[in-house]
Amino acid sequence: MYGLEAINANNGWAISAVGITIVFSGLVSLSLLISQLHKAVDLFENPHKIKAWFAGKPDAKVSESPVMVLREDQKEVVRQYALLARTMDDHFSLPRLLHLARVSGLKDPCAHLNLLLKSGIVTPDGEGYFCWDENQFNQTISY
Amino acid sequence: MNSLGNVLKKSQIFKGLESGDLDMVMPLFHERILHTGDVLTASGDSAQFFFLLGKGTLLLAMDGGKAVVLDSAGDFAAMELMSREGVYTTSVTALEDGVAWAVPREAFFDFIRQDTPAAAEIMAAWQIFLDAKAGFAKVIADIDAPVIS
Repeated sequence: MYGLEAINANNGWAISAVGITIVFSGLVSLSLLISQLHKAVDLFENPHKIKAWFAGKPDAKVSESPVMVLREDQKEVVRQYALLARTMDDHFSLPRLLHLARVSGLKDPCAHLNLLLKSGIVTPDGEGYFCWDENQFNQTISY
Repeated sequence: MNSLGNVLKKSQIFKGLESGDLDMVMPLFHERILHTGDVLTASGDSAQFFFLLGKGTLLLAMDGGKAVVLDSAGDFAAMELMSREGVYTTSVTALEDGVAWAVPREAFFDFIRQDTPAAAEIMAAWQIFLDAKAGFAKVIADIDAPVIS
């Protein structure tokens, strides 16, 4: 008995399929392992990252920032800042906003920009730009 | 009180130093009173000082419109956040009254270029601080800057 007949008689097709599956699975596993190797190398080169994992996660962000109580004159300047912010992109440059406040003649632009940051109306986006939180603004103004 | 010693111990960058190392670092810092609107550095100027925040809020306006706000005692405006190859790339403005400690850039670099555990500790802590505060600014550009005479 030879050829295809012999293969059929001795479960050759099934054995081949199992073999192919084993080899293919091994190669896939190996490629996944190699693709993640750079992370292990990165940790080896920057051991402080391992330390950072165990340093503790920052406090969970509270769902709603407490509303800062502002004086009426401060609310007025904050409203003027809101008008300026509406002329800018959703993610805007904070120095640009300060510049616009200065050229627009807003009162104490630095101090009021600080107020916007402390009240949570203006928040960093983590990429170097800042966002205007409309909800926080409305709550602060109506408080 | 936010004395320099207390601020260094609070600072993420310096709190890991031994007391002997802190004694070596402290004389490098000089107090600077901040008034709202003060401009500490201007982009394009020769980089002379880095700043350790004691109290107040600093706006670090970087080239290209990006910015970082430092508002915690111990935050450190230095290296990639401030300069490249000896030139400020960041304008720093005080957004409220406060106090900062200025450290000469060259003196600071001389300290961290030493092959000591303290220098390694500062650099490791700096990378973590930078990741947390301004990961987008994480470009090693100033550390091997030529000495400004």
